[in-house]
Amino acid sequence: MPKQIRNNIRRLRFDAGEMSQQALAEAVGVTRQTIIAIEKSRYSPSLEVAFRIADTFGVTLETVFHYDEEETK
Amino acid sequence: MDLSYKEKALIASLGVTVLIFGWYLYGAFSTLSLDPTAPGLVEIIVLIVWVVAFEASIQGVLAFRNRSGLEEDEREKLIEKTSYRYSYWFLCGCLCFLMGNILLADWLDYASVLITPNGMFHVLLLFFVLAEVINLIVQLYYHRRGF
Repeated sequence: MPKQIRNNIRRLRFDAGEMSQQALAEAVGVTRQTIIAIEKSRYSPSLEVAFRIADTFGVTLETVFHYDEEETK
Repeated sequence: MDLSYKEKALIASLGVTVLIFGWYLYGAFSTLSLDPTAPGLVEIIVLIVWVVAFEASIQGVLAFRNRSGLEEDEREKLIEKTSYRYSYWFLCGCLCFLMGNILLADWLDYASVLITPNGMFHVLLLFFVLAEVINLIVQLYYHRRGF
């Protein structure tokens, strides 16, 4: 089964006091559409943006992103 | 429909390109003949000024209303690069078609409106406009579908 980069951004936003996608986008320095695409695993960000996302939530990169087998739909 | 700043800017560019160049090229191709005269320089300058003025004013309004203040991020740059690849290959195909037409007209000794300075100019302009339209449509597609 193919592997894919998946993430916990939705849960981390929820844990960070229901942080909005717009607020996260502004903190990271990307557009809201890019956050939406990353959250849905439709776009894999650069390492720099990935580190900035982890930094915004104050967690490690592995907490945000993981390399898993693709979910069956 | 929830459109991002980039999508609005792309739609505005597409509208300006299609309307102004479409109007100009429609007029040019409907009167195209084997007359060997080159297109008027003033006409071309006026056309370019129209496009730049429309584009700059629409983009200015959109940029002013852009709440995020962010013009472009890495994903948008990647989409732009991908769409340029499509328009590059389209332009290559068009130029090959034009070169083939020139060679065939020479070998078979027939008069082609494409080989006159006026015809050649307008066909090249049409190819560049179509390449730009393809570039904008592909970008819009990737922005909507996700990249």
